[in-house]
Amino acid sequence: MSDREIVVENLVKSYPGKVTAVDGVNFRVDEGKIFGFLGPNGAGKSTTIKIMTTLALPTSGRVLVGGFDVVIQAAEVRRVAGVALQEVGIDPLMKSMELLVLQGRIFGASKAEATARAKELLGLVQLSDAVDRRVGTYSGGMRRRLDLAMALVHQPKVLFLDEPTTGLDPVSRRDVWREVRRLNRDLGITIFLTTQYLEEADELADTVAIIVAGKIVTEGTPAKLKAAMGEESINLVFDTPELADKGQSILENMSDRIQLDRDTVRLYLRKAAGAIPAVISQLQKEGLTPISLTLTQPTLDDVFLQATGQRLIASEATKTKSSRSRQRVEAN
Amino acid sequence: MTTKTIELTVSRPMMNKPLSLPVHIYLLVVRSLTTILRTPEALLPPVAISIFFLVIYQSTLGKAAAFIPGIGGSYLGFILPLSIVSGSLSGSGIAAQNLVRDIECGYFDKLLLTPVRRAALLLAPILAGAIILGVQATIVVSAGLLLGLKPVTGFLGLLTVIGLGVLLGIGFSGFTVSAALGSGNAAATQGASFLFFPLTFLAPTFVPLSLLSGWLEVAAKLNPITYVLEAMRAVLNNGWDTQAIGTSILACLALAVAMYALAAFALSVRTRRS
Repeated sequence: MSDREIVVENLVKSYPGKVTAVDGVNFRVDEGKIFGFLGPNGAGKSTTIKIMTTLALPTSGRVLVGGFDVVIQAAEVRRVAGVALQEVGIDPLMKSMELLVLQGRIFGASKAEATARAKELLGLVQLSDAVDRRVGTYSGGMRRRLDLAMALVHQPKVLFLDEPTTGLDPVSRRDVWREVRRLNRDLGITIFLTTQYLEEADELADTVAIIVAGKIVTEGTPAKLKAAMGEESINLVFDTPELADKGQSILENMSDRIQLDRDTVRLYLRKAAGAIPAVISQLQKEGLTPISLTLTQPTLDDVFLQATGQRLIASEATKTKSSRSRQRVEAN
Repeated sequence: MTTKTIELTVSRPMMNKPLSLPVHIYLLVVRSLTTILRTPEALLPPVAISIFFLVIYQSTLGKAAAFIPGIGGSYLGFILPLSIVSGSLSGSGIAAQNLVRDIECGYFDKLLLTPVRRAALLLAPILAGAIILGVQATIVVSAGLLLGLKPVTGFLGLLTVIGLGVLLGIGFSGFTVSAALGSGNAAATQGASFLFFPLTFLAPTFVPLSLLSGWLEVAAKLNPITYVLEAMRAVLNNGWDTQAIGTSILACLALAVAMYALAAFALSVRTRRS
């Protein structure tokens, strides 16, 4: 096994009261790859990452990070892994240079080495101009970038990023993406990434796994997962959710998969473009005209929806032909 | 961020050398002192209050040595130890407040993701707190000298008084640190610090131990503060009393052993992987 790989075998984590947060999860992250881990709230993402980063113990199964077992070789795992958790844990009274130098020294660097490394990393995350300010005065984006720098101090072989761009503005988010890609490409760091942004997984991940209720329901490259969907969608927007509901009833015999999302009906079809005239005709027969019609290729959002029955982004009502039930889905 | 690119050195040897516990403690003590000193507003009031009461006691009861038996020297030498002990009790919360702040802001968990020795997470804030306590006690002793204190054992006697104050503070900080680790909450930790203040008065606070009687005498004899006060007063007013000093050190050590067993348990619970 490479010292930059992650192997998770039959991972189970149960809590008292017979709550099983992770239920027989298996995956492998090859050296130098970016692995995107997606799932709705409470699916088991955080529990999995806590086990992989040595903050929690598995109930059963085996997790190897960089060739080290997270249960019996936790200290070694901490030496090869860099971790930036969702909650940025940075002392607001300290300055970025102080934090990075201390982090380096804890990992065994001399003061000169740690200082040089800190300067290097502050340049990398574009915080060189803010070294004299206490971290408490930093913006959310600056704190995340500093957190990323702290995770890189000891030149980790494997990097765990738990929702690295949550709460960032779009520009900062793209900057973090660029850095993640560069760390992976230039330094060969294997990256395990959880995210609530499907676009982020699509943009960064070589492989994506979706976890629901503690089990991985689908895994593959974003391209393959989208291709496997095989269907484009015709998106019809109506004046009101009631009219959309009526539209769904009219069109439900045209496809095996149809969704109602507030005032929008999505009809999934192979070669959807050719079906547009028939769709319009069917609606007009019933005296219904959509206010807009668009055609979209499958996205990772569609993959997620098919795998979980939920959308990942924001709270919205989703209704599928199979479930026919409205459900609130909170942002993860 | 812009698209500026800075190459990270990949050829540099990994800095992954395991460090000893003392080195980790040293690194975290320096860091704790840095952050403690950045909130001077938390450090000055205990010193100011100790000096305030010292001045008040000396002004109102300064001539009490003449009519209270057993004081055995100047009243200032008798009452200064109370100010030092009060400062030790309030200062014993410094380590805990530092620790609970780390827990609340998530930095404690961040450290758990590094190879830092777990014992250093407990010992470093306590040692940093002890250093601050030493400085605070020195300031209070200096105030005593300005008020006319003339210790019979000289400079070494003053160092002994400061050392005993620090030792007592370290013992009590084991309790406040336990509260910090157990609760992870600043308000609960602050509350734990206040629990000590009644102990100050279950001791020969304003009169010698020989003048106490009944339940208060029993309580005072069980209270480690009593032995620290007795030793400090002996050193300042009577001379080197090795028995009193030895007893006070033993009392502080017994307190520390009990409190640190509690703190070690609280640390193991907080850092335990479940």
